[in-house]
Amino acid sequence: MTEVISPTTPEQLRDAIGWAVDAKKPLEVIGSGSKRAYGHAVAAYHVLDLSKLTGVLFYEPEELVLSVRAGTSLAEIQAILREKNQQFHFETGNFPALLADDVAQNAGTIGGLIATNLSGPRRIKVGAARDHLLGFEAVSGRGEDFKSGGRVMKNVTGFDLSKLMSGSFGTLGVMHTITMKVMPCDEKARTVLIACNDPERAGMAMNRAMGSENEVSAAAWVAVEDVARFGIDVASAMGTGLVALRVEGPAPSVAWRCEALRKLLAEFGASEELHTTNSATFWKAVADVAPYGGSSGMLWRVSGPPASGGVLAAKLAARTGGKVMMDWAGAQIWLRLDGSDVMAGTVRQIAQSESGQAVLVRAPADLRAEVPVFHPEDPALARINRKIRDNFDPVGILNPGRMHLNITEGGQV
Amino acid sequence: MLRMPEPNPNTLARRKDIIAAMREIVPATGGVIVDEDQLRPYECDGLMAYRQLPMIVVLPENTGQVAAILKYCHTNKIRVVPRGAGTGLSGGALPMADAITISMMKFNRVLEIDWDNRAAVVQPGVTNLGITRAVEHKGFYYAPDPSSQIACSIGGNIAENSGGVHSLKYGLTTNNVLGLEMVTIEGEILRIGGKGLDQSGYDLLGIITGSEGLLGIVTEVTVRILRKPETARALLLGFNSSEAGGNCVAKIIADGIIPGGLEMMDAPAIKATEDFVHAGYPLDVEALLLVELDGPKVEVDYLIEKVGAIARDCGAVYSRISESEEERLLFWSGRKNAFPAIGRISPDYMCMDGTIPRARLAEVLTGMQVLSQRHGLRVANVFHAGDGNLHPLIMFDANQPGELERAEEFGADILKLCVEVGGVLSGEHGIGVEKRDLMPEMFTEDDMKHQERLKLAFDEDELLNPGKVFPTLHGCGELKTLHAREVANKFPDIPRF
Repeated sequence: MTEVISPTTPEQLRDAIGWAVDAKKPLEVIGSGSKRAYGHAVAAYHVLDLSKLTGVLFYEPEELVLSVRAGTSLAEIQAILREKNQQFHFETGNFPALLADDVAQNAGTIGGLIATNLSGPRRIKVGAARDHLLGFEAVSGRGEDFKSGGRVMKNVTGFDLSKLMSGSFGTLGVMHTITMKVMPCDEKARTVLIACNDPERAGMAMNRAMGSENEVSAAAWVAVEDVARFGIDVASAMGTGLVALRVEGPAPSVAWRCEALRKLLAEFGASEELHTTNSATFWKAVADVAPYGGSSGMLWRVSGPPASGGVLAAKLAARTGGKVMMDWAGAQIWLRLDGSDVMAGTVRQIAQSESGQAVLVRAPADLRAEVPVFHPEDPALARINRKIRDNFDPVGILNPGRMHLNITEGGQV
Repeated sequence: MLRMPEPNPNTLARRKDIIAAMREIVPATGGVIVDEDQLRPYECDGLMAYRQLPMIVVLPENTGQVAAILKYCHTNKIRVVPRGAGTGLSGGALPMADAITISMMKFNRVLEIDWDNRAAVVQPGVTNLGITRAVEHKGFYYAPDPSSQIACSIGGNIAENSGGVHSLKYGLTTNNVLGLEMVTIEGEILRIGGKGLDQSGYDLLGIITGSEGLLGIVTEVTVRILRKPETARALLLGFNSSEAGGNCVAKIIADGIIPGGLEMMDAPAIKATEDFVHAGYPLDVEALLLVELDGPKVEVDYLIEKVGAIARDCGAVYSRISESEEERLLFWSGRKNAFPAIGRISPDYMCMDGTIPRARLAEVLTGMQVLSQRHGLRVANVFHAGDGNLHPLIMFDANQPGELERAEEFGADILKLCVEVGGVLSGEHGIGVEKRDLMPEMFTEDDMKHQERLKLAFDEDELLNPGKVFPTLHGCGELKTLHAREVANKFPDIPRF
């Protein structure tokens, strides 16, 4: 059993954390709880639930800025942005749908999104969530208010704590206010598909496209059996695995660049083009990792240098017998394992052989209690990370153990 | 007057021993500078109002030497001031009388160009433009382009998180760095990030970028390189008021167009630059926009039309489109020479660097005119209009008693105005010593203590670049103390389930 504390104002949040500091009670910090199965389980009787701390503080489309309370749902925010034809440029997919069945679209809160630093296919061009967080206000694990950044696009005033908070899984402080950069949706988007069954060859094709001047905004490779699940007739009809390259921008430019890409990659295989709706459907499926969604099977996310993607994907598939899909022009590989063996040693060894790393995104709770979910940190970096955590949360009350299994003396994992 | 930490008499007394130890670590001729005449060039950076001779200057040549120097300094509690090319505008490399200035300018090699991963691995002393020079033969470039790019080092860019005229579309340094090698004050060599996009643990890459030399010394940098756009064209647009110009900027962006460059100048800046470089700027407008569009030719031609139409709707009274690469560069020559142009009409000038929400531009410019009259000093404005980054240039004569102080007060008032309207103290030049004492305008004591706690994780003895960024340094003890509170079942108002 747990006790849930649900602050509705920043002041209540400060009081709640202050109490926990004094009483030395660890807190499991959640937004809507949609990504609770991502990372290690937090052993805490008290749950600090941010989902009642909601609301849009301001949205100024012409200034490209949006400020909200951290518990505001993504669904609500994305609906507001859509009204003004704007978006979060980092294009996160419906990540919670990778952890459970029947998850609603845009599940989760903005706070959870930043705390896990998610990002989708457009990351290769515009960065991750961390690159779009302009500022935040939070309460640290010391029970004190602190903020960093602001509401403007360009800001080097003091240390960039927005980066520190992004991807920190609520272990340093609990954000209550989040200010984001938003971007206009492009006038046009189209996707070039190239028939390609071999991931290594796909890697080469993506490299050539990314090295061209066509400003590719997303590059992925999907195996033939996964293409079928995208539900796009033009794509399925090709009957092969597909390299997909998206270009976005003004209409004449998009048409011109698609043409240029098809010429550039002609030797790799037959090509097709997806127009507006199909293109959007395709990249939504990639962002959601739709073919590997739901609760069954284990899911790894392997990331490394983009040029190694093809080799990595081929090795991972061959050595584990799993299914693979590539995004970020090869810099991100999704590996789904359907057996009961998580193969952590094998997966991490292959990732490291190409200067990459591997995160166990989905696995049963008992496995996540044994296998480090996040790629083990270099010992020197782990010591620094440990010191940062101790300085922001000296009593260890914020999501203890969420990022690390069995933290021992010196920060070693 | 700027107050810096008191020199440590014990360090000063040991200067000879320290020099000997440094010579042992860096034996190369000229690797350790101790004579006053040779120390002189290091007494300031690009912020020349503040000067201080360093105790000594050391120029290490490799990471091992940097590690040995820092380890020695850590053991012996000697302060360190890291220095790149010395072009910084906020005094981040201002020396201290009892500190070793470590110049990284011998780290000047391009180590690897990885075309497949579109990454360049370089040493920190390589200039910003040097990276582009190393990759442009294959049609690539490094996007962030601070106006000092010919001289400033990439290591300094990391320290300051430098921007440039293209940052609206292509991001700041922080959005373009993939990996770093950094030496801690304890002499430990850290490797952070790489050629991929992810790192384990906290985002150390993100916090080191822009940390102004307070967390460590960067010894290797991996940045992403981009394919150069096929073409670029620029428009010059003149308006009768800064409101109209600002309105045009808002309309362009609201229309979904993110130009490669989007600059604005006010009348004094237009006149000074036109007199200097004769770029053909109109002299009868109150605000001049320089809009650059880059990409495939078909896209650029299309967007030029669109921006031209938006400008007409916004009441542009002057419009000119570059018809050749020479003309485009001519348009830019005025903007890029704005600082020296002001230097021609004023014995001294001070460049400020606030960022504001764009919609408040007209209000801030009006406020600046009021301040200009109050302080009795002229001001000209160049403005990265797309991202709201202002560069007011305050003109003064340091030889007139009291003028420097008045200019400083004027500058501080401008930055306070920026913060008042929702902006910040620095958009791209950094805090350094220049804006250090204004930090409380933006941050509470607790805000700054949390920033310092990040520093503490890297440099507990506060030996790295002391006196920069934070107006007062709280001791380690104070920062680590957990304040006692009223314990209770207190928060009765919070819903619990």
